[in-house]
Amino acid sequence: MNEEKLRRHLAKYPRVHATYSEAPFLSRRRFFEIAGAGVGGSYLAQPLLGESTSGAVTTKNTAKNVIFVLLTGAPSHVDTFDCKVGPSTPAALRAETVGGVLWPNGVLPGLGAHLGKMAIVRSMRAWALVHSLGQTWTQIGRNPAAALGDVSPNMGSVVASEKERDRTPSQVFPTFLALNANAAIGPGYFSATYAPFKVTPSTTGLPNTSNNDGKARSDARLRFLHTIDDPLRVLSPLGKAAEDYDKFYGSANGMMFNSAVDTAFRFTAADSVRYAGGGVANGFGNACLVAKQVLAANQGTRFIQINLGGWDMHNDIYGTGGAAVNIFTLGRMFDAGMSTLLADLDSTGLLKETLVVMVGEFGRTTGALTGSGGRDHYLQHFAVFAGAGVRGGRTIGATNASGSDTTSFGWKHDRYIRPEDVMATVYSAMGIDWTKQLPTPFGRTFEYVPDASDGIYAPIEELWG
Amino acid sequence: MRPVWALLLISPLCGFGQQAAASDDGANASCTLMGPQRERILEAGKYGRQPGRLTELTAGVMGRLGDVRTYIPGGSRTNSQLQLDQMGTIDRHIYGTLQAKGVTPAPRTNDYEFIRRVTLDLTGRIPLPERVTQFVADSRANKRELLVDELLAKPEWVDKWTMFYGDLFKNNSVNTNIRRDTEGVSAFHEWIANALRTGKPYSTMATELVSATGTNSYQQGELNFLVGSFQPQVPQQDTYDQTAADVARTFLGLGHMNCILCHNGRGHLDTLSLWGKSTTRAQGWGMASFFSRTAMPRTSINSDSFVPYYWSVGTSALLRNDYQLNTTTGNRPARQPIGTQTTVPPAYLFTGARPGPGEDYRTAFAREIVADPLFSKSAVNYVWEHFFGLALVTPSDGFDPARLDPDNPPADGWTLQPTNAALLRDLAADFVANKYDVKKLMRQIVTSSAYQMASRYEGAWDPNWEPLYARHFVRRLWGEEIHDALVQSSGVTPSYDLLRQYPGFSRTEAYAMRIPEPLSTPDRGGPVSRFLDSFLRGNRDDEERRNDGSISQALALMNDPLVLTRIRGTGNATSLLQRNLARSDEELVNTLFLTVLSRPATDSEKAAALAQLRTGTRTAQAEDLLWSLYNKVDFIFSY
Repeated sequence: MNEEKLRRHLAKYPRVHATYSEAPFLSRRRFFEIAGAGVGGSYLAQPLLGESTSGAVTTKNTAKNVIFVLLTGAPSHVDTFDCKVGPSTPAALRAETVGGVLWPNGVLPGLGAHLGKMAIVRSMRAWALVHSLGQTWTQIGRNPAAALGDVSPNMGSVVASEKERDRTPSQVFPTFLALNANAAIGPGYFSATYAPFKVTPSTTGLPNTSNNDGKARSDARLRFLHTIDDPLRVLSPLGKAAEDYDKFYGSANGMMFNSAVDTAFRFTAADSVRYAGGGVANGFGNACLVAKQVLAANQGTRFIQINLGGWDMHNDIYGTGGAAVNIFTLGRMFDAGMSTLLADLDSTGLLKETLVVMVGEFGRTTGALTGSGGRDHYLQHFAVFAGAGVRGGRTIGATNASGSDTTSFGWKHDRYIRPEDVMATVYSAMGIDWTKQLPTPFGRTFEYVPDASDGIYAPIEELWG
Repeated sequence: MRPVWALLLISPLCGFGQQAAASDDGANASCTLMGPQRERILEAGKYGRQPGRLTELTAGVMGRLGDVRTYIPGGSRTNSQLQLDQMGTIDRHIYGTLQAKGVTPAPRTNDYEFIRRVTLDLTGRIPLPERVTQFVADSRANKRELLVDELLAKPEWVDKWTMFYGDLFKNNSVNTNIRRDTEGVSAFHEWIANALRTGKPYSTMATELVSATGTNSYQQGELNFLVGSFQPQVPQQDTYDQTAADVARTFLGLGHMNCILCHNGRGHLDTLSLWGKSTTRAQGWGMASFFSRTAMPRTSINSDSFVPYYWSVGTSALLRNDYQLNTTTGNRPARQPIGTQTTVPPAYLFTGARPGPGEDYRTAFAREIVADPLFSKSAVNYVWEHFFGLALVTPSDGFDPARLDPDNPPADGWTLQPTNAALLRDLAADFVANKYDVKKLMRQIVTSSAYQMASRYEGAWDPNWEPLYARHFVRRLWGEEIHDALVQSSGVTPSYDLLRQYPGFSRTEAYAMRIPEPLSTPDRGGPVSRFLDSFLRGNRDDEERRNDGSISQALALMNDPLVLTRIRGTGNATSLLQRNLARSDEELVNTLFLTVLSRPATDSEKAAALAQLRTGTRTAQAEDLLWSLYNKVDFIFSY
């Protein structure tokens, strides 16, 4: 399947949909009655890591966890992971050959030491140049403006739903955690159980997980609450929205007065500074730190999304005009957190079972800077993968001298790599059949990865060798 | 932007005839505090429920509250066409459709349900307990209309709808692209509040916002609407485009205008919008061109730094050209000449209308916007969405103009977009006839029988009846409403110092609905701000207000000091609990339920509450009873 073939396929099947108003309306409850078996039951159990076949596809199944780092605002690819020296490149970028690739040591000094862990995809191409559209597209792996786009779940919610049956009763953390990512897309039409649990990391840990009245009294009054309120929480006349609160209260209670929560979510100032590369502690570094601690706690969290914004450098990208947030300041903040995280995951043994993904919603213009000393939106960009058996120390795909277009796609499908493929890769790594389809309350099918069953989008298997 | 899918996020659809879902068993595994009541419910669920019979539990909670009269619903076979024709616009269409489809509507709300719901919907507050008692005892036939008029006249009505329109107009101090600063927010907030307070027609509000001209956004509130669309560091055409797109979304419900301004509809909107799929980018440019003579310069208030600044908005003599097709950079695809055409004159997309000779472009644009049938339709739709939970057109910023006319339904597999196209048409017509009076629109809505249906449903519920509005849909309260219900019911009044940031506000604001914007307010990102944020009030920029639930909300309601300081039976003589501890157990229970939940306890709730009070230390047990009321789902939901 190459670029031309993809274009022809999409033109041939424009996916004419029934419009919203003619689709039958079903409650989410009714939907789960229908689809419950599909979510938890019919999928083959895969207790051990290793390649596995479900009949339709063979998943990689090398990852127990995913850390998905979304670089919102769209980082400049030619100043980071697809480093190019052009007429505007300042000496401070310190573009040097490291591990066989041109590497911006002035922007990403720490990650240069981890090149052996990372596979850098350089043939990525976005579908759109609008921030919110692109960010949502990346998280849900399909066009947010198309049918079902409004209600498609974050890939983390799909992972959470697939891994629900792996949870043990003693595990109390939500399966899907969002750190420094309050704008993370939610579970769409999936159950609220699979929503991202959004946390802003803080040295004091999770807020509101205890109170001065103590555990015994908190337990007692929660018991009493159920006595008077269960008629409205269980098979509720108020509907599914109220029943969801019953689930939230259950999960919340599991995290109260629980030292595992404190251990995982609290951190010291010293650790915070370490994840800031010795500099000023920041939200992104803290999120990386907490992510590591949460995975180490093994309390049920399997998908962690971390956002880092500020990359939308239309203006003074190199900071020569005094811009406080420029490729150097933000790049080094990202670099410090990310390289410390990779090192810690590696030394604790977590990296080999954790897929780490770093990606933005699109790239930035290449070559000379714009009139305002910046780079504008651009379709060409990158994705970086590490961990879970990904063979590092390589690039997949290559671009031309300026970074403006792909010269070699680098994978067997011989076309640009798209957010849909990145999502398929995540699913495959987690042992999830990315071609799975589910009926929805809207009378149309929800595909884990759009058109995947036709082989249109697929995991980037080249990452594993 | 992900528009809210009202259908899913407000999902009240569990009827009495449905079986227990398989998902319940797994979900309960994590909750170790199961009481006997819970097991009985699950047990009952296993064998399903008899359709047509309320169980003792649900009837006890929702059914036997106050005066439940036998009610023949309109639209059933007992109503004649003549009776339908004599109903108001809303009821005529809703009950007429129900009758045509043979669907029985939900019963009428009882008085407890009605006063709580309408007080929350109109004023963002729960009713005072004494008002509830008075209302229920009132024997006048028109007492509901009188209550509505009383609520519409309250200053709290202004607060709530200033918040609502502040969301719609996106009044915030900092967005992705620009700053209004707190001075701009305050000025804009006061402009909206004043417009609502003085009954300014919505058409006038729109006209003033679109054609605003002035030199200081800190002082002239209406300047702050257009500046939100400004695009920095890119060609001016990007700003013209965004301004046209934002005006179209806000005042025409036409979110797809933003798409059209990047590319033709064909190849992108083919399955999304019948209108959009054949609309071209050039047509979008014609709309954006109405802003091509507008400049929005900024003036810094300090000599040594550019930030902060205030805005001017006005027609600039320096901008001598219409919309120019000469860009290759910026946030939107290149704009290049079409043949020999290098500029695009303003042309209103739906009518072709152009500014008159010498007419200010934005004045002309405002004129066209207000005259556009989409203006009144989208205006009533946004308001309808809040009261009914399901908009007439969903998403409410995704109107498809080619699929709205019930007398000219679309062909080729497309269907009419609204849930009830004739109702939307006539409700919009009423709005115009009432001179775009927002208060009159709300009065029309809440005095209708359709609005006054209960969310309870007798008999098996079919989710396919949702678009027929055959029952009322529950909604979770806004964070501000939850906060204000806590404050009002507990009698423990906070004191937020907004004056230091927001001119025109006071040092002792107590109610969250009065806060001018959701960004880190009212305590600069402190605990109260986090409490409100956990209920997803959005940021009026890239995060919409949402009513999703979350674990954080459960943690907040169970443990946040905002709640825990309000349940104490000692240390605050004027608090709800302390004022009533000396009463008998029965009176205490009645008072707590009436004040917090605006209704009496059901028999089983009362029995459990009394048992609670008679075990252990009474003060602590009473505290936990009050805690439980604040953690009940019917505290945070409007039904």
